Amino acid sequence: MNIVLVGNPNVGKSVIFNALTGRYVTVSNYPGTTVEISKGIGKFAGQKIQILDTPGINSLVPYSEDEKVTKDILSKSDVAAIVHVADSKNLKRSLLLTLDLMELKTPMVLNLNMADEAKEHGIKIDTKKLSEKLGIDVVETVAITGEGVGKLKDSIQRARVPQGLLSQGLVETHHFQRPMDIVSLNKKNKIIDNILSGVLTVSKHLKKSVAEAIGRITTRPITGIPFLIVILIIMYKFVGQFAAGTAVDFFEETVFGKYLTPFFVHLATRFIPINLIREFLIGDYGVISMAVTYAFAIIFPIVTAFFLFFGILEDTGYLPRLSVLSDRIFRVIGLNGRAILPVILGLGCGTMATLTARILDTKKERILVNLLLALAIPCSAQLGVIMGILGSMSRNATALWIGVILSVMIIVGFVSSKIIPGSRSPFIQEIPPIRMPQIGNIVTKTLARLKWYLKEAVPLFILGTIALFVFDKFGILKVIENIFRPIVVGLLGLPEKVTEVFIIGFLRRDYGAAGLFQLSKTGILDTIQILVSIVVITLFVPCIAQFFVTIKERGMKVAALIGGFVFVFAFLVGGVLNFVLRQLVSRGITVI
Amino acid sequence: MERTQKIEESLSIVWEEREKKNYDKTDISGKISAKVEEDLLDDLVKMDYLLLEKNNVKFTNAGERAAKDVIRRQRLAERLLADVLEVGRQDVDSLACEFEHILSKEVEESICTLLGHPKECPHGLSIPQGMCCEKAKDELESIVVPLAKLSPGETGKVVYVLTRTHPQLHKLMSFGVVPGARVFIHQVFPSFVIQVEETQVALEEDIANEIFVKRLH
Repeated sequence: MNIVLVGNPNVGKSVIFNALTGRYVTVSNYPGTTVEISKGIGKFAGQKIQILDTPGINSLVPYSEDEKVTKDILSKSDVAAIVHVADSKNLKRSLLLTLDLMELKTPMVLNLNMADEAKEHGIKIDTKKLSEKLGIDVVETVAITGEGVGKLKDSIQRARVPQGLLSQGLVETHHFQRPMDIVSLNKKNKIIDNILSGVLTVSKHLKKSVAEAIGRITTRPITGIPFLIVILIIMYKFVGQFAAGTAVDFFEETVFGKYLTPFFVHLATRFIPINLIREFLIGDYGVISMAVTYAFAIIFPIVTAFFLFFGILEDTGYLPRLSVLSDRIFRVIGLNGRAILPVILGLGCGTMATLTARILDTKKERILVNLLLALAIPCSAQLGVIMGILGSMSRNATALWIGVILSVMIIVGFVSSKIIPGSRSPFIQEIPPIRMPQIGNIVTKTLARLKWYLKEAVPLFILGTIALFVFDKFGILKVIENIFRPIVVGLLGLPEKVTEVFIIGFLRRDYGAAGLFQLSKTGILDTIQILVSIVVITLFVPCIAQFFVTIKERGMKVAALIGGFVFVFAFLVGGVLNFVLRQLVSRGITVI
Repeated sequence: MERTQKIEESLSIVWEEREKKNYDKTDISGKISAKVEEDLLDDLVKMDYLLLEKNNVKFTNAGERAAKDVIRRQRLAERLLADVLEVGRQDVDSLACEFEHILSKEVEESICTLLGHPKECPHGLSIPQGMCCEKAKDELESIVVPLAKLSPGETGKVVYVLTRTHPQLHKLMSFGVVPGARVFIHQVFPSFVIQVEETQVALEEDIANEIFVKRLH
């Protein structure tokens, strides 16, 4: 038996889920955060029952993939009770879905979440009356503070099959194969107006709140674009300069350089007599000296800063507003403004973002976004490290890097939108209200992501290091370097040593970037070489996890095509960039 | 095809040709023959529907009225089939052809009202206005316009939503953009941002052009 949480997008199902189960799933202030079902166990009067969190839906007519997922759960799994999580502010719209759900004749509870926001908007709901009219329990909650969650638990145990309306013959049972037509919709609207009379009161004069004003600023081009630039500068300062500069220096030079590394070196030289094992741990490609140092001294501070910043951005509701500004640009590349969500999420983690491509309506759009995510969107760890490298270079270098990546994105997007068959869907995107981020949620979210990062990335770092170690010991490294010499040295004009960066970049792009970070500090690379190599590592093949998810989402054939294209194309762009910059320098023009 | 039906078809051909600025007698009579398998042009002249000026075909007042009626029914039928019944583009034309002949005046006005007194048929040709449209104008003191015509700060009441594809209509409806809903325009560039009740929705202009609203003052 399952308890299923259902509701419109962005009404707080995941927060309710977390409150009921004590588990943590990612919570954000934008529609479509949950694309897969989360399962958890909740305790009801000492009894353990499985709870399912579902992607948001707007009606039971499944149009998008996430709606299909939810519908399948409702129709196929063993449902003990449905908890319809609704946004108190949008009662009318929520009830449209309630009516649909009531037709399933399953015990249910209506949960009016975000009751605090409704109050702020001057909306009053008589839950007792509403409960009588609907014939099910109606519980108000403010999930983020836990208000009303206890009551909700009680009500879930008492969940009943709605009777009131059905017995009055107001709602006819019909099958959900056809789209809602206008006639049945009008009928439903009348029923809802009927239900709401005497239940809902809205005080006339709503205050134009600060949140609304900020909301307006962010979506108008005149104010929105400068706002975006300021956000990006703050991010650059915080992630690229503070975290990748100050914090990394501290961890790398002080914590590791002065204390940990000498300590491990001391331990190893004292207690490990076998040279090979010693080298395995603390040699050039040692698990401790390379993998652990990269993971904890370089990438960890950077991703922590990025996750923190990104979490705040997510919770304010700012990100979906970018879709308003970017729709026209995305149209050029066969997408619409909604694509900004997976793309921006991709700046967090390409693997998660590849999944979120599901919120897009057509197959073509999903393939395009998956391609762009694999090619041109650097993930948080990688982006942070790249920002760190750029932080020590000139502003022109940063501008040039951004310029190259953006042009690649637009050109590849444009060309592939012409090649990939299918159509682009029109832009319709719900814009959530601007909210004050909750520190508690940000901290929990950041910790959850860090935990995930450590679990996912560190083993791969170690694996990569072991591979390098083995390659080095058996002389395979030299062989690979020789094979790639024409590309790395010839085409890209980089030292052979950079080949290693690309090898570990196969496992994780951020690991590759961290290798570059190290190399750039040693001074082996000149500015052009640094720029060329960060452009290549940005475009370079997705990490293993993202590649697997792409296979899962798009199938082997498409994923292999994407991977192969990205591999060749990354080196090609690097080669062209190297050629152009060298030509300019030879004519006495210094760009960076 | 019955005789009245043939006459109606012929009148509509003359109307359509006039829209293309084609008045040529020989050409039009050829088109009529091809469609109704009989050259009715001279009959129409005899029935006082058409005038001939040199080689040019013109409507008489009576002909103008009759043709307008036919065209109006035909294009309303197309709108109905395409928008409400969601028949595919290819079938619309042939079905509308059948449909127009069986529409009574009363049904025609109801359909026109249901569709919100549309101005154009699915092919983009104008639909002649009927009595009901004139009345609606007087009563409402405002006209139905695409949402895209509204400026920021204005409010419109949704009259109907054109349905080019299902999912898009469905999405709009579940956001609360349904006939009768009040829509406030926040901004129109680079994308439209509208508000229905407490829901804010961003749309591109193409979609805003398919939502027809009445301006509220």
